[in-house]
Amino acid sequence: MASTAYFAASMVLVLIGLYALLTSRNMLRAVIGLEVITSAVNLNILAMGSSGGTVDPLAQSMAFTSIVIGAAVAALALSLVIYAYRHYGSIDLRRLRRLRW
Amino acid sequence: MVNDQAWMVLTPLATLLGAAMLTPIVASAARRARPGGGKAVDVFAVLGFTVTLYTLYRLYLRVYYSGPVSVALDPYLPVNGGVELHVDMLSVYMAMIFCGIGLLASIYSVRYMEGDTGHEYYYLLLLTLVAGMVGVAFAGDFFNLFVSWELMCISSYALVSFRKYRWEPIEAGFKYLMMSSLGSLTILYGISLLYGLTGTVNFRLIRVGLDSIAEAGVPSPLYILVALIIVGFGVTASMVPFHTWLPDAHPAAPSPISAMLSGVVIKTGVYGLGRSLFTLFNPVAFDYGTAILIFAALTMTVANFVALLQRDIKRLLAYSSIANIGYITAGLGIAAYALSHYYPVDPGLALKVALLGASGALFHIFNHAVGKGFLFLCSGCFVHETGTRDISQLEGVGRRMFLTGTSFTLGLFSLAGVPPLSGFWSKLFIILAGLSIAGDTALYTITAILIFNSVLSAAYYLWLMQRIMLRKPSGLAAEAVEAPGAMVIPVIILAAVSLLVGLAPGGMITLMEYVSKALMGGW
Repeated sequence: MASTAYFAASMVLVLIGLYALLTSRNMLRAVIGLEVITSAVNLNILAMGSSGGTVDPLAQSMAFTSIVIGAAVAALALSLVIYAYRHYGSIDLRRLRRLRW
Repeated sequence: MVNDQAWMVLTPLATLLGAAMLTPIVASAARRARPGGGKAVDVFAVLGFTVTLYTLYRLYLRVYYSGPVSVALDPYLPVNGGVELHVDMLSVYMAMIFCGIGLLASIYSVRYMEGDTGHEYYYLLLLTLVAGMVGVAFAGDFFNLFVSWELMCISSYALVSFRKYRWEPIEAGFKYLMMSSLGSLTILYGISLLYGLTGTVNFRLIRVGLDSIAEAGVPSPLYILVALIIVGFGVTASMVPFHTWLPDAHPAAPSPISAMLSGVVIKTGVYGLGRSLFTLFNPVAFDYGTAILIFAALTMTVANFVALLQRDIKRLLAYSSIANIGYITAGLGIAAYALSHYYPVDPGLALKVALLGASGALFHIFNHAVGKGFLFLCSGCFVHETGTRDISQLEGVGRRMFLTGTSFTLGLFSLAGVPPLSGFWSKLFIILAGLSIAGDTALYTITAILIFNSVLSAAYYLWLMQRIMLRKPSGLAAEAVEAPGAMVIPVIILAAVSLLVGLAPGGMITLMEYVSKALMGGW
């Protein structure tokens, strides 16, 4: 089964993205981690929709929609990174810890 | 294939999205007519919400008299995956709450946002936010649900960080964006696994597939799907331990948006949780009630204890929102628990308890949306007049702003569950549901925790009331005057609704019967 391999690959990608999101101290790296997870989930949708060489059109349209949504989220996140840089002069996540309790 | 039914269902969504598209055009036209553009955009957005509310009322009558309305979207007919919009009583009820609070928030924004620029973007985002929430309520399959969900989420990220020239909204917005996107991706992962398991995304067809799988006992890997759905929707519904973004994001947003987020957006998470769990996974076969009850107990207790520490009025209200999410999920959890544990033994009793718990939870969604909505609007009035969010500096401001202060007191009492205000009835329903099965330790425990938390929250509500209303005004608060009329009117409307529903809950309770049956009966 080819789709099993894709399913396993998407799980590995999710773990890589989570690692990037949780351990990075740089805002840009965190955004990239989020995008890696998005791609992994898209891959999983396609893997689930494929059966013996053909892919269900529903899975394809879901993956396309998800790609567009991921792009929108990334654009918004990057604009927030720019504004944070204008405020703090750095994009270190540790500087953004003023909100605690 | 635009017949009468499709027209009924698509009108509210089309109105909201169309108004959102037209907002920038209206703004530029108004700027040509006179410098600055006046209040054209604001009035246009209010009109859009009003028209939507009217179309939703028409749809409600249709659903009430002739059953659920369902519209299949053409390229994917039910045989091919079944992408459809499905509207039953629960969907219409939720959509009307969303749109009503949206209308009042937009009326309030007319005066509140005067000092800000970029009004057309603000109203565009507010309209798309409500459009996304109405889409979530109308979705009959995961494809529509996910697209509407993300429309709602992206709008709310942008609205939280709307005042981008200050540090707090930026920081809170980034935190919110990261955590909430991760939650959405968790949901999407769960959806893709469900799709791989059953070959469809339609709720009804997934239910059929899962029932045939679970006939000979539930295989335990299926609980991974339940866990993914609970965690994913739990991030947006802000259950503890996924709540950490909420106390930052809600105070950082402008006050009408805080009212929207706390009153309505987190309820979308609860709606998604309830709808997907009760519709997809037969609660008699799957035992997820216990898990929801554990989360609910955690949510209530942690949120109430942390709320006691707060010195910032909007932050305190945000924590109290989390506590109320705990009560709502407790109602849903009691329903699921009763069905899975007692349905084989005594079907009549189990169904009775489940309907009671679910109607309590759904009724509390309404009460909390109204109550927390106008508490945030009131605190917005205070902040607008005094320029501070610190409770110690706001002491006695309620005496200077009489109408707002009185409404604020009403809202606090309603959420504390003082009879005869509306918050009392829904809590009573949930507590009665928890007590109606004799000798069940789990249900007794959750009811005891709920009562304890009600008392605890009443303590800090009364403390807040005493500080705001009874102290002598000093410093900043002494110079406050009553907020402008356009800001007080929505507050008064919501206070009146809360009082009326509390004094005459009969009609609402009858409606809850239909709504909770729509949640339980699947389709």
